[in-house]
Amino acid sequence: MPSPETVIRLENVTQRFRVIQERPDTVRELFSKMFRKRSNAHNFEAVKNVSFEVARGEALAIIGRNGSGKSTLLKLIAGVYRPTKGRVTVTGTLAPLIELGAGFHHELTGRENILLNGLLMGYSKREMLERQQRIIDFAEIGEFIDAPVKQYSNGMYMRLAFAVAIEVDPEILVVDEILAVGDIGFQQKCFERLRRFRQAGKTILLVTHAMPNVEEHCDRALLIDHGSLMVDGSPAEAIATYRALLNLEVAAAP
Amino acid sequence: MTQLIRDSYRYRELIWALALKELKIRYKRSVLGFLWALLNPAFMMLVLTMVFSTIMRFPIQHYAIFLLSVLLPWTFFSQSLSYAVESIVSNGDLIKKVAVPKLVFPMAAVVSNIINLLLSLIPLALLVPILRHPFYWTWIYLPVPLLALAIFTLGMTFFFAAANVYYRDVAHILQVVLSAWFYVTPIIYPLDMLPKHYQWILRLNPIIFVINGFRLAVYYGQLPRLQSIAASFVCGFVSLTIGFAIFRKYQNDFVFYV
Repeated sequence: MPSPETVIRLENVTQRFRVIQERPDTVRELFSKMFRKRSNAHNFEAVKNVSFEVARGEALAIIGRNGSGKSTLLKLIAGVYRPTKGRVTVTGTLAPLIELGAGFHHELTGRENILLNGLLMGYSKREMLERQQRIIDFAEIGEFIDAPVKQYSNGMYMRLAFAVAIEVDPEILVVDEILAVGDIGFQQKCFERLRRFRQAGKTILLVTHAMPNVEEHCDRALLIDHGSLMVDGSPAEAIATYRALLNLEVAAAP
Repeated sequence: MTQLIRDSYRYRELIWALALKELKIRYKRSVLGFLWALLNPAFMMLVLTMVFSTIMRFPIQHYAIFLLSVLLPWTFFSQSLSYAVESIVSNGDLIKKVAVPKLVFPMAAVVSNIINLLLSLIPLALLVPILRHPFYWTWIYLPVPLLALAIFTLGMTFFFAAANVYYRDVAHILQVVLSAWFYVTPIIYPLDMLPKHYQWILRLNPIIFVINGFRLAVYYGQLPRLQSIAASFVCGFVSLTIGFAIFRKYQNDFVFYV
């Protein structure tokens, strides 16, 4: 039984992708493949037998090189993928900031997108209308809120998306490398908001390449490499191993 | 089946919002906007009425009403399918990033087209007195075939939307199927055009019962026989059960193929 304090639990989770060089996308290819009877699919394990738990109120960083499996891990936690093997258990509401503005439609206005995005994350219309003003205020969008988002600048777009995710007030916030949005002022505001979020006893999962953020905002870090969990410990420990790993790679390069 | 009912109730607001989004986008940037949902069928009716009352004269009185009473529901059916078949693929970006129940996308396509169908019934209701065709009380029966048609359509959309994720040919095959289906269904011709002993062939067509219900109520002022109503719902539930079972079986893998 998971203790009430555990909000995320991964047990021996493996995510396998079938990488197919020539996937039969059309029926014709399917037929020609059936006669050749040679499969050129191979399996690729993006996450290999990973287990860990996250307690309520923890701020956990996940670090690793590009393609190491960090994003796959987040998507498993967010419920986008069902694991090939193992189990993922998440207790409480979770707001994925996996790709900002994924649910935005550029013909709709900011206001309409706030509602749609909230509904996509599983909130009700009433809940979203209650939060609407706080979201608009946080995003500093002003009167543009009733303009279609295709007219927004990149910064405005990102600010609105971040505001929606943080102001829906989830119990777990999953942040994938998005704090590079906006100017320094807005970034500080985001971190300030994250800090208050943590003080409220909520859980944060942060995927980033910015090591100072890991040290400053997280109390635990996971290092992922080639889909396996290398380090589960303090940020300092994980970062040190990560640096060593990178150096090794540089040294090995011809 | 219970999962379908539970999920569609739970995500009703999302389905509704997606359906409205679809309509908004369809009519965006047009000066008349939403009015086009009324004007489109109205102009089509105008053209059909002129053609069939002056140029091509059929031995069927008020042919325009005869035709439109089933053409409008057929249009709903074929448009819903054409939209829904792409609904999973075109929302692929979303599916890859947010854990969202997949069934909302085909459902939203059907709901937005139901709204369109209801709006297109308004100009039809206006056309009836204009052509001096009797306005039958049987119009109040229309919600029944509407429901049966919606259930049938939903089942088909689940199947085609799922199949199109794996083979993109499905969207093209669907268009061929729909145009053939249009002609084997008594839409432009009456049900009794075929000789008596070939009538059974028509009854193999699962959409015929519901289509006939529309025509009887609007054009003939009659209600279908009870067996016919029952058959329309049986076809609907068979379609929904099979369609959703297939959709449900594969929905967790969509994310890898979109």
